[in-house]
Amino acid sequence: MNKTLVSLTTVVLAAGLIAPPPAHAEIRVFACEPEWAALAREIGGDKIDAFSATHAGQDPHHIRAKPSLIAKIRRTDLLFCSGAGLEVGWLPLLLQRGAPARIQPGKPGYLMATDHIEVLEQTTVTDRSFGDVHPEGNPHAHLDPRNLPLLATVLQQRLATLDKINAEYYRDRAANFTAAWGRRLAAWEVRRSALKGMPVIVHHRTWSYMVRWLGLREIASLESKPGIPPTPSHLSALLQTVRTQPVKAILLTPYDPTGPADWLHGKTGIPIVTLPYTVSRDAGPGALARLFENMLSQLERAHGIR
Amino acid sequence: MTYRSIGIATACALVASHAILPANAQTSSDAQAILAELRTMKQAYESRITALENKIIRMEAAKSTGATKPNSTPGGSTRTIRDNSFNPSIGIILNGKATSFSEDSSNIAGFAIGEEGERGKEGLSIDESELNFSANIDDKFYGSLTTAIVREGTEDKIELEEAYVMTLPDAGLPAGSRIKAGRAFWTLGYLNEHHSHADDFADRPLPYRAYLNKAYNDDGIEVSYVLPTDFYSEIGGGIFRGDDFPFGGSTGGLDTFSAFARIGGDIGDNQNWRLGAYTLRGNATSRATGEGAVTFNGDTNLYAADLRYTWAPTGNPREQELILQAEFFHRDEEGRYTDTGAGTGTVAYNEASSGWYAQSVYKFAPSWRVGARYSQLLAANVPTGLAGSALDNGGHDPYSVSVMGDWTNSEYGRLRLQYNYEELTKNQEDHQVVLQYIMSFGAHGAHAF
Repeated sequence: MNKTLVSLTTVVLAAGLIAPPPAHAEIRVFACEPEWAALAREIGGDKIDAFSATHAGQDPHHIRAKPSLIAKIRRTDLLFCSGAGLEVGWLPLLLQRGAPARIQPGKPGYLMATDHIEVLEQTTVTDRSFGDVHPEGNPHAHLDPRNLPLLATVLQQRLATLDKINAEYYRDRAANFTAAWGRRLAAWEVRRSALKGMPVIVHHRTWSYMVRWLGLREIASLESKPGIPPTPSHLSALLQTVRTQPVKAILLTPYDPTGPADWLHGKTGIPIVTLPYTVSRDAGPGALARLFENMLSQLERAHGIR
Repeated sequence: MTYRSIGIATACALVASHAILPANAQTSSDAQAILAELRTMKQAYESRITALENKIIRMEAAKSTGATKPNSTPGGSTRTIRDNSFNPSIGIILNGKATSFSEDSSNIAGFAIGEEGERGKEGLSIDESELNFSANIDDKFYGSLTTAIVREGTEDKIELEEAYVMTLPDAGLPAGSRIKAGRAFWTLGYLNEHHSHADDFADRPLPYRAYLNKAYNDDGIEVSYVLPTDFYSEIGGGIFRGDDFPFGGSTGGLDTFSAFARIGGDIGDNQNWRLGAYTLRGNATSRATGEGAVTFNGDTNLYAADLRYTWAPTGNPREQELILQAEFFHRDEEGRYTDTGAGTGTVAYNEASSGWYAQSVYKFAPSWRVGARYSQLLAANVPTGLAGSALDNGGHDPYSVSVMGDWTNSEYGRLRLQYNYEELTKNQEDHQVVLQYIMSFGAHGAHAF
């Protein structure tokens, strides 16, 4: 009886150890945000399976390390996130709980976008009376489209390292993406110059990369301090500011609360423009380009260009 | 020696003497000359510095006209996500209360409880002030130490809440597994793993007070394994010293252990759930409760189940969220009880009791939450020898109803007002009001689901 049990256990264990890898030997990409899942699909094509931990309506800074994410990260080959503290509330927990060694910091399976681009708003101030301050800088890096070809290249190198057999496939797709993106950037250049200097108010400093790319003028933010909900005193001071200078739009992400923006809109008539912050969770090819097209059109409308 | 060298030597001597005796009238013009020379040097350096500064500004301007990439080597990234740039991370929790009770007594009918499980102090007091240090020890281990400074009687004492090391994913264990050793708030139900500052109510519900003396943090070792399934599933177990409540008087035998299993997942995009089953078994030697009057010797086995469900209507728990949470505990004890307060003598005992709570917390605005909780204990049958003792519930099941509202200014500061209605012994109706603050500074790690 005892012997049977021992041999049975041995068989089960051995079967578990020598079991062949699943038939679809694709690279599993765990993206923290939908934009990185979309970029991964552009470069990885059908050789990868990309999953986004958050959806377009979610603020990636404030989600929970929920059980389903532990299950997902447990079987990940490549982690692709914004970094710079954006996921600090939940990613470290997932990395510690269940994540494999191959996606830990320093490994090729650990890719943080802000490690590979020029990060805005880095600061040495870490006094929390200034709000939810992140000394690592502004993490919303995908909102400057010039960053995407840089990241496409890094991603292609990582995919090639992890999946050598398909290295050429990734290289070709990255080259195609970068070339097509270059043509788009050139086309957007014209529209960009028309928007230059457009004065805007933002809710949170989410849009800094886009503001820099387009040369918009950020007059103020509705939050008095980063991460701290707008206060009545700050809003009334803002009202005075707005009365002395023209502002074309109040820019919101789909996940920003609309209350403060509605209030300012009611007092001043400045239009609220809810720009898409990112693509949909399961976005296919071309979605990233459409994101910027959409953003530009909305800004142009608010600016009275078309 | 040539005349020339004599001349230089003399000049040097003169300069030296002038430097030593600057008041000398004859030399003041020489000093002026030196000063003038120093000024020219200063100007020269200043102009060079300005030129360098301009160069830097130009370079930075050139850099910011286009995005640049500093590093793109695979595996070459060095910046990691962490909660603080310090090593170790240091976090401090400050915690204070103003409490009012309408009843003098807070006996729980049918249950003799430990000191930490008793209701708090009345009046103004600070709660546990926590100090946490944690860091990755190296690529394979993580360590954490949490001490609490608490008032016991008239003295401030340091209590060691947690001191553990834990393996990191790089430690070489099979993927998904982890070993944690030392002292920790072990995996048991929902609240036990969490520090009380993260609780949604100012006090722990009745089953935690009765069965765990607030929390179980014995010395021991725990192994857990996240299974490679599509939904979340985890199993684990531990071996403990057996010194912390509900055990005690351990002589070092390996007879205190735990086991658990958990599953969890999503419902659509914005709803999550987790369900768990746990057991903790061991034995107690001279476990004193009821302010020292009640002593237990024997086996004590605990079974627990927990369920947690969260729903954020827009996917953003920061804006709006509903949390439902419930736990059930069942305790089976076989041994001998003595209640010196009731003069029972030592009585053989083999009975089971249980307790549960259910709570709901709703965040209706980013800074505001309201919550309600019901908790109840169901005492064991009482052997005739213990009739009239602390273990005799007198036909009354203790219960407590709580409502709370709290205001969260930032992730780091919260104020809470809570009202409890407790009838823990028949006709002992206690109206309690608690006003509480919980503030933290320094590193503050993410809280688990």
